[in-house]
Amino acid sequence: MKSWHRYTITLVGGLAVGLGAAWALTGGGLGDGAIRNGAWTTSLGYGTKATDPLTRAMVARSGLLALPAKETLYWMATTDEAGAPLDGDCRYSLSGTALDARWWSVTVYDEQGYLVDNAARNWSVNGANVALDANGEWRVTISPAKPAAGAWLPGGKGGPFQLTLRMYNPGKAFRAAPARAALPRLVKEGC
Amino acid sequence: MRAWLGPLAFGLIVAAATAGAAILAIPYGLMNVAMERLGQGGINHMSHGNLATPERQPVVRPSPDLAYSTCPYDLSKGPIAIDMTPVPGRYSSLSIFDAATDVIFVRNDVEAGGKPFRIIVARAGQEVPKGAEVVRTQHDRGIALVRLLLKDPSEIGALTAIRGQSSCRTVTKLK
Repeated sequence: MKSWHRYTITLVGGLAVGLGAAWALTGGGLGDGAIRNGAWTTSLGYGTKATDPLTRAMVARSGLLALPAKETLYWMATTDEAGAPLDGDCRYSLSGTALDARWWSVTVYDEQGYLVDNAARNWSVNGANVALDANGEWRVTISPAKPAAGAWLPGGKGGPFQLTLRMYNPGKAFRAAPARAALPRLVKEGC
Repeated sequence: MRAWLGPLAFGLIVAAATAGAAILAIPYGLMNVAMERLGQGGINHMSHGNLATPERQPVVRPSPDLAYSTCPYDLSKGPIAIDMTPVPGRYSSLSIFDAATDVIFVRNDVEAGGKPFRIIVARAGQEVPKGAEVVRTQHDRGIALVRLLLKDPSEIGALTAIRGQSSCRTVTKLK
Protein backbone atom coordinates (compact mmCIF):
# COMPACT_ATOMS: atom_id res chain seq x y z
CA MET A 1 0.00 0.00 0.00
CA LYS A 2 1.29 3.43 -0.86
CA SER A 3 1.63 6.16 1.72
CA TRP A 4 -1.07 8.36 0.19
CA HIS A 5 -3.47 5.41 0.36
CA ARG A 6 -2.98 5.28 4.10
CA TYR A 7 -3.49 9.03 4.43
CA THR A 8 -6.67 8.85 2.34
CA ILE A 9 -8.05 6.05 4.52
CA THR A 10 -7.35 7.94 7.76
CA LEU A 11 -8.70 11.19 6.25
CA VAL A 12 -12.04 9.53 5.45
CA GLY A 13 -12.02 7.73 8.79
CA GLY A 14 -11.17 10.96 10.66
CA LEU A 15 -14.02 12.84 8.96
CA ALA A 16 -16.50 10.09 9.83
CA VAL A 17 -15.31 9.79 13.43
CA GLY A 18 -15.37 13.60 13.83
CA LEU A 19 -18.94 13.92 12.53
CA GLY A 20 -20.08 10.98 14.63
CA ALA A 21 -18.42 12.40 17.73
CA ALA A 22 -20.05 15.82 17.20
CA TRP A 23 -23.46 14.19 16.83
CA ALA A 24 -22.96 11.99 19.89
CA LEU A 25 -21.61 14.84 22.04
CA THR A 26 -24.56 17.11 21.22
CA GLY A 27 -27.26 14.46 21.59
CA GLY A 28 -27.47 14.51 25.39
CA GLY A 29 -30.40 16.88 25.31
CA LEU A 30 -31.39 19.36 28.00
CA GLY A 31 -31.12 16.46 30.45
CA ASP A 32 -27.36 16.85 30.57
CA GLY A 33 -27.66 20.24 32.24
CA ALA A 34 -25.40 21.08 35.15
CA ILE A 35 -28.07 21.45 37.86
CA ARG A 36 -29.74 18.38 39.35
CA ASN A 37 -32.79 18.29 41.64
CA GLY A 38 -34.50 14.93 42.29
CA ALA A 39 -35.39 13.41 38.92
CA TRP A 40 -34.92 16.80 37.20
CA THR A 41 -31.96 18.52 35.56
CA THR A 42 -31.56 21.98 34.07
CA SER A 43 -28.94 24.59 33.22
CA LEU A 44 -29.15 28.34 33.72
CA GLY A 45 -27.14 28.91 30.53
CA TYR A 46 -29.82 28.20 27.93
CA GLY A 47 -30.62 30.89 25.41
CA THR A 48 -27.84 33.20 26.49
CA LYS A 49 -24.78 34.37 24.59
CA ALA A 50 -22.52 33.14 27.38
CA THR A 51 -23.38 29.56 26.47
CA ASP A 52 -20.37 27.58 25.22
CA PRO A 53 -20.45 26.10 21.69
CA LEU A 54 -21.18 22.56 22.92
CA THR A 55 -24.13 23.60 25.11
CA ARG A 56 -25.43 25.81 22.32
CA ALA A 57 -25.34 22.89 19.86
CA MET A 58 -27.04 20.60 22.41
CA VAL A 59 -29.80 23.13 23.01
CA ALA A 60 -30.22 23.67 19.26
CA ARG A 61 -30.80 19.94 18.84
CA SER A 62 -33.11 19.37 21.80
CA GLY A 63 -34.70 22.73 22.58
CA LEU A 64 -34.27 25.15 19.68
CA LEU A 65 -35.70 28.63 20.43
CA ALA A 66 -35.54 28.00 24.20
CA LEU A 67 -35.90 31.07 26.42
CA PRO A 68 -33.26 32.23 28.95
CA ALA A 69 -33.66 31.21 32.61
CA LYS A 70 -35.03 34.57 33.77
CA GLU A 71 -37.96 34.03 31.44
CA THR A 72 -38.34 30.25 31.65
CA LEU A 73 -36.65 27.41 33.51
CA TYR A 74 -36.76 24.17 31.52
CA TRP A 75 -36.36 21.07 33.68
CA MET A 76 -35.96 17.68 32.07
CA ALA A 77 -36.57 14.20 33.51
CA THR A 78 -35.51 11.07 31.66
CA THR A 79 -35.55 8.90 34.80
CA ASP A 80 -37.69 8.60 37.93
CA GLU A 81 -36.39 9.68 41.36
CA ALA A 82 -34.69 6.32 41.85
CA GLY A 83 -32.73 6.81 38.62
CA ALA A 84 -34.57 4.22 36.51
CA PRO A 85 -35.29 5.31 32.89
CA LEU A 86 -38.90 6.40 32.30
CA ASP A 87 -40.79 3.53 30.67
CA GLY A 88 -44.07 4.00 28.79
CA ASP A 89 -45.34 0.65 30.06
CA CYS A 90 -45.07 1.73 33.71
CA ARG A 91 -47.23 3.81 36.03
CA TYR A 92 -45.76 6.87 37.75
CA SER A 93 -46.98 9.28 40.38
CA LEU A 94 -46.13 12.93 39.71
CA SER A 95 -46.99 15.17 42.66
CA GLY A 96 -46.08 18.43 44.31
CA THR A 97 -47.20 21.75 45.68
CA ALA A 98 -47.87 24.94 43.72
CA LEU A 99 -44.58 25.94 42.07
CA ASP A 100 -42.92 29.31 42.53
CA ALA A 101 -43.53 30.59 39.02
CA ARG A 102 -46.09 32.69 37.21
CA TRP A 103 -47.17 29.60 35.31
CA TRP A 104 -45.85 26.06 34.96
CA SER A 105 -46.51 22.89 32.95
CA VAL A 106 -45.24 19.32 32.62
CA THR A 107 -45.25 17.82 29.10
CA VAL A 108 -44.63 14.23 27.92
CA TYR A 109 -42.27 13.79 24.94
CA ASP A 110 -40.66 10.84 23.20
CA GLU A 111 -36.89 10.33 23.33
CA GLN A 112 -36.34 12.78 20.47
CA GLY A 113 -38.41 15.51 22.14
CA TYR A 114 -41.61 15.20 20.09
CA LEU A 115 -45.24 14.80 21.17
CA VAL A 116 -46.69 11.30 20.73
CA ASP A 117 -50.34 10.69 19.89
CA ASN A 118 -52.63 9.25 22.57
CA ALA A 119 -56.34 8.52 22.85
CA ALA A 120 -56.95 11.36 25.31
CA ARG A 121 -55.24 13.92 23.02
CA ASN A 122 -53.54 15.30 26.11
CA TRP A 123 -49.80 15.85 26.50
CA SER A 124 -49.43 18.12 29.49
CA VAL A 125 -50.65 19.22 32.89
CA ASN A 126 -50.25 22.76 34.15
CA GLY A 127 -50.71 24.92 37.22
CA ALA A 128 -54.11 26.06 36.01
CA ASN A 129 -55.65 22.61 35.51
CA VAL A 130 -54.34 20.53 38.45
CA ALA A 131 -56.54 20.31 41.55
CA LEU A 132 -54.97 21.06 44.95
CA ASP A 133 -56.02 18.90 47.92
CA ALA A 134 -56.52 20.09 51.53
CA ASN A 135 -52.73 20.12 52.05
CA GLY A 136 -52.18 22.26 48.97
CA GLU A 137 -50.78 19.32 46.98
CA TRP A 138 -51.60 18.13 43.46
CA ARG A 139 -51.10 14.65 42.06
CA VAL A 140 -51.17 13.22 38.52
CA THR A 141 -50.81 9.61 37.38
CA ILE A 142 -48.63 9.09 34.28
CA SER A 143 -49.55 5.70 32.81
CA PRO A 144 -50.51 3.94 29.56
CA ALA A 145 -54.14 3.41 30.73
CA LYS A 146 -56.47 5.84 32.48
CA PRO A 147 -56.41 5.30 36.25
CA ALA A 148 -59.65 4.56 38.12
CA ALA A 149 -59.47 7.87 39.95
CA GLY A 150 -57.58 11.14 39.85
CA ALA A 151 -55.89 13.20 37.13
CA TRP A 152 -54.22 11.32 34.25
CA LEU A 153 -51.42 12.14 31.88
CA PRO A 154 -50.84 9.46 29.20
CA GLY A 155 -47.22 8.26 29.19
CA GLY A 156 -45.10 7.25 26.20
CA LYS A 157 -46.48 4.39 24.15
CA GLY A 158 -44.61 1.26 25.17
CA GLY A 159 -41.20 2.91 24.94
CA PRO A 160 -38.95 5.32 26.79
CA PHE A 161 -40.26 8.84 27.33
CA GLN A 162 -39.16 12.18 28.80
CA LEU A 163 -40.84 14.91 30.81
CA THR A 164 -40.19 18.63 30.45
CA LEU A 165 -41.20 20.93 33.30
CA ARG A 166 -41.51 24.54 32.20
CA MET A 167 -41.59 27.32 34.77
CA TYR A 168 -42.49 30.68 33.26
CA ASN A 169 -41.13 33.68 35.16
CA PRO A 170 -39.74 31.61 38.05
CA GLY A 171 -39.47 33.36 41.44
CA LYS A 172 -36.16 34.95 42.45
CA ALA A 173 -35.51 32.34 45.15
CA PHE A 174 -35.95 29.62 42.55
CA ARG A 175 -33.45 31.18 40.18
CA ALA A 176 -30.96 31.76 43.00
CA ALA A 177 -30.96 28.14 44.25
CA PRO A 178 -32.68 25.87 41.71
CA ALA A 179 -30.95 22.73 43.04
CA ARG A 180 -32.64 23.14 46.44
CA ALA A 181 -36.08 24.32 45.33
CA ALA A 182 -39.13 22.08 45.83
CA LEU A 183 -39.90 20.39 42.50
CA PRO A 184 -42.59 17.80 41.70
CA ARG A 185 -41.79 14.25 42.86
CA LEU A 186 -41.70 11.51 40.25
CA VAL A 187 -42.10 7.99 41.67
CA LYS A 188 -42.63 4.69 39.84
CA GLU A 189 -45.66 2.83 41.18
CA GLY A 190 -45.52 -0.30 39.04
CA CYS A 191 -45.27 -1.78 35.54
CA MET B 1 2.95 -0.96 11.24
CA ARG B 2 5.22 2.07 11.63
CA ALA B 3 4.02 3.26 8.27
CA TRP B 4 0.59 3.88 9.85
CA LEU B 5 1.77 6.13 12.70
CA GLY B 6 1.79 9.29 10.58
CA PRO B 7 -1.54 8.59 8.86
CA LEU B 8 -3.19 7.69 12.21
CA ALA B 9 -1.99 10.90 13.85
CA PHE B 10 -3.26 12.79 10.82
CA GLY B 11 -6.63 10.98 11.09
CA LEU B 12 -6.95 11.97 14.77
CA ILE B 13 -6.28 15.61 13.95
CA VAL B 14 -8.86 15.46 11.14
CA ALA B 15 -11.40 13.88 13.53
CA ALA B 16 -10.87 16.54 16.22
CA ALA B 17 -11.06 19.40 13.70
CA THR B 18 -14.18 17.92 12.07
CA ALA B 19 -15.92 17.46 15.43
CA GLY B 20 -15.11 21.04 16.44
CA ALA B 21 -16.30 22.49 13.15
CA ALA B 22 -19.48 20.40 13.20
CA ILE B 23 -20.32 21.48 16.77
CA LEU B 24 -19.92 25.11 15.71
CA ALA B 25 -22.04 24.54 12.57
CA ILE B 26 -24.93 22.57 14.12
CA PRO B 27 -26.84 25.61 15.54
CA TYR B 28 -26.68 27.44 12.19
CA GLY B 29 -27.82 24.36 10.28
CA LEU B 30 -30.75 23.66 12.60
CA MET B 31 -31.78 27.33 12.58
CA ASN B 32 -31.89 27.17 8.76
CA VAL B 33 -34.12 24.10 8.95
CA ALA B 34 -36.42 25.85 11.45
CA MET B 35 -36.63 28.97 9.25
CA GLU B 36 -37.52 26.77 6.30
CA ARG B 37 -40.28 24.98 8.24
CA LEU B 38 -41.67 28.13 9.86
CA GLY B 39 -41.27 30.28 6.76
CA GLN B 40 -44.22 28.89 4.81
CA GLY B 41 -46.06 32.19 5.30
CA GLY B 42 -43.08 34.07 3.87
CA ILE B 43 -39.94 35.71 5.22
CA ASN B 44 -40.41 38.93 7.23
CA HIS B 45 -44.02 37.95 7.84
CA MET B 46 -45.64 36.84 11.11
CA SER B 47 -47.52 33.53 10.83
CA HIS B 48 -49.94 32.62 13.59
CA GLY B 49 -49.73 28.85 13.95
CA ASN B 50 -52.21 26.39 15.37
CA LEU B 51 -51.43 24.58 18.61
CA ALA B 52 -48.74 21.90 18.50
CA THR B 53 -50.02 18.33 18.18
CA PRO B 54 -48.25 15.08 17.24
CA GLU B 55 -49.23 15.87 13.63
CA ARG B 56 -47.91 19.43 13.71
CA GLN B 57 -44.48 19.95 15.30
CA PRO B 58 -42.35 22.29 13.19
CA VAL B 59 -39.75 22.62 15.98
CA VAL B 60 -38.48 20.14 18.56
CA ARG B 61 -40.12 20.09 22.03
CA PRO B 62 -43.14 22.29 21.28
CA SER B 63 -45.38 23.21 24.21
CA PRO B 64 -48.99 22.10 23.59
CA ASP B 65 -50.15 24.88 25.96
CA LEU B 66 -48.74 27.79 23.97
CA ALA B 67 -49.94 29.44 20.78
CA TYR B 68 -46.82 30.31 18.79
CA SER B 69 -46.58 33.05 16.19
CA THR B 70 -43.37 33.09 14.18
CA CYS B 71 -41.55 35.48 11.89
CA PRO B 72 -38.44 34.11 10.18
CA TYR B 73 -36.56 37.25 9.13
CA ASP B 74 -33.81 38.37 6.78
CA LEU B 75 -32.25 41.80 7.25
CA SER B 76 -30.17 41.76 4.05
CA LYS B 77 -32.58 44.22 2.39
CA GLY B 78 -33.04 46.39 5.49
CA PRO B 79 -34.28 46.37 9.08
CA ILE B 80 -37.59 44.86 10.14
CA ALA B 81 -40.26 46.20 12.48
CA ILE B 82 -41.97 43.80 14.88
CA ASP B 83 -45.23 44.81 16.55
CA MET B 84 -46.32 42.82 19.57
CA THR B 85 -49.72 43.06 21.26
CA PRO B 86 -49.97 41.28 24.63
CA VAL B 87 -53.24 39.60 25.57
CA PRO B 88 -54.55 40.91 28.91
CA GLY B 89 -54.23 38.66 31.95
CA ARG B 90 -52.02 35.92 30.59
CA TYR B 91 -48.37 35.17 29.88
CA SER B 92 -47.14 36.24 26.48
CA SER B 93 -43.68 37.18 25.25
CA LEU B 94 -41.72 38.24 22.20
CA SER B 95 -38.30 36.66 21.82
CA ILE B 96 -35.81 37.10 18.97
CA PHE B 97 -33.17 34.50 18.09
CA ASP B 98 -30.25 35.13 15.73
CA ALA B 99 -28.78 32.72 13.15
CA ALA B 100 -26.50 31.21 15.84
CA THR B 101 -29.64 30.45 17.97
CA ASP B 102 -28.66 33.09 20.59
CA VAL B 103 -31.46 35.09 22.20
CA ILE B 104 -30.97 38.76 21.33
CA PHE B 105 -34.22 40.10 22.81
CA VAL B 106 -36.97 38.98 25.22
CA ARG B 107 -39.88 40.97 26.61
CA ASN B 108 -42.98 39.56 28.26
CA ASP B 109 -46.40 41.11 28.80
CA VAL B 110 -45.63 42.25 32.37
CA GLU B 111 -42.38 43.94 31.32
CA ALA B 112 -44.35 45.64 28.54
CA GLY B 113 -46.90 46.87 31.08
CA GLY B 114 -49.56 44.94 29.16
CA LYS B 115 -49.26 47.46 26.31
CA PRO B 116 -48.41 46.90 22.63
CA PHE B 117 -44.84 47.75 21.62
CA ARG B 118 -42.68 47.94 18.51
CA ILE B 119 -39.10 46.73 18.09
CA ILE B 120 -36.81 47.44 15.12
CA VAL B 121 -34.28 44.67 14.39
CA ALA B 122 -31.26 45.93 12.41
CA ARG B 123 -27.69 45.09 11.50
CA ALA B 124 -24.94 47.41 12.70
CA GLY B 125 -24.87 50.45 10.41
CA GLN B 126 -28.38 50.04 8.98
CA GLU B 127 -30.45 53.21 9.15
CA VAL B 128 -33.46 52.99 11.47
CA PRO B 129 -36.50 55.21 12.14
CA LYS B 130 -35.79 58.05 14.60
CA GLY B 131 -36.88 57.44 18.16
CA ALA B 132 -37.56 53.74 17.60
CA GLU B 133 -36.48 51.04 20.05
CA VAL B 134 -33.75 49.15 18.18
CA VAL B 135 -32.17 45.71 18.66
CA ARG B 136 -28.86 45.42 16.80
CA THR B 137 -27.67 42.02 15.61
CA GLN B 138 -24.56 40.56 13.95
CA HIS B 139 -26.55 38.19 11.72
CA ASP B 140 -28.92 38.83 8.80
CA ARG B 141 -31.18 35.92 9.56
CA GLY B 142 -33.12 34.73 12.57
CA ILE B 143 -36.55 34.04 14.01
CA ALA B 144 -38.88 36.25 16.07
CA LEU B 145 -41.27 34.22 18.19
CA VAL B 146 -44.41 35.21 20.08
CA ARG B 147 -45.56 32.84 22.82
CA LEU B 148 -49.11 33.14 24.14
CA LEU B 149 -50.33 30.97 26.99
CA LEU B 150 -53.76 29.39 26.62
CA LYS B 151 -55.79 28.36 29.64
CA ASP B 152 -57.50 25.79 27.45
CA PRO B 153 -56.81 24.68 23.84
CA SER B 154 -60.35 25.63 22.80
CA GLU B 155 -59.53 29.30 23.44
CA ILE B 156 -57.38 29.61 20.36
CA GLY B 157 -60.26 30.55 18.02
CA ALA B 158 -61.39 33.43 20.22
CA LEU B 159 -57.83 34.82 20.31
CA THR B 160 -57.36 34.93 16.52
CA ALA B 161 -58.11 38.65 16.21
CA ILE B 162 -55.78 39.81 18.96
CA ARG B 163 -53.00 37.45 17.82
CA GLY B 164 -53.33 38.99 14.36
CA GLN B 165 -52.35 42.38 15.81
CA SER B 166 -48.78 41.12 16.30
CA SER B 167 -46.91 41.52 13.04
CA CYS B 168 -43.55 41.67 11.34
CA ARG B 169 -42.51 43.59 8.18
CA THR B 170 -39.60 45.18 6.37
CA VAL B 171 -39.07 48.82 7.34
CA THR B 172 -39.82 51.04 4.35
CA LYS B 173 -40.24 54.47 5.95
CA LEU B 174 -37.53 55.94 8.12
CA LYS B 175 -39.63 58.81 9.50
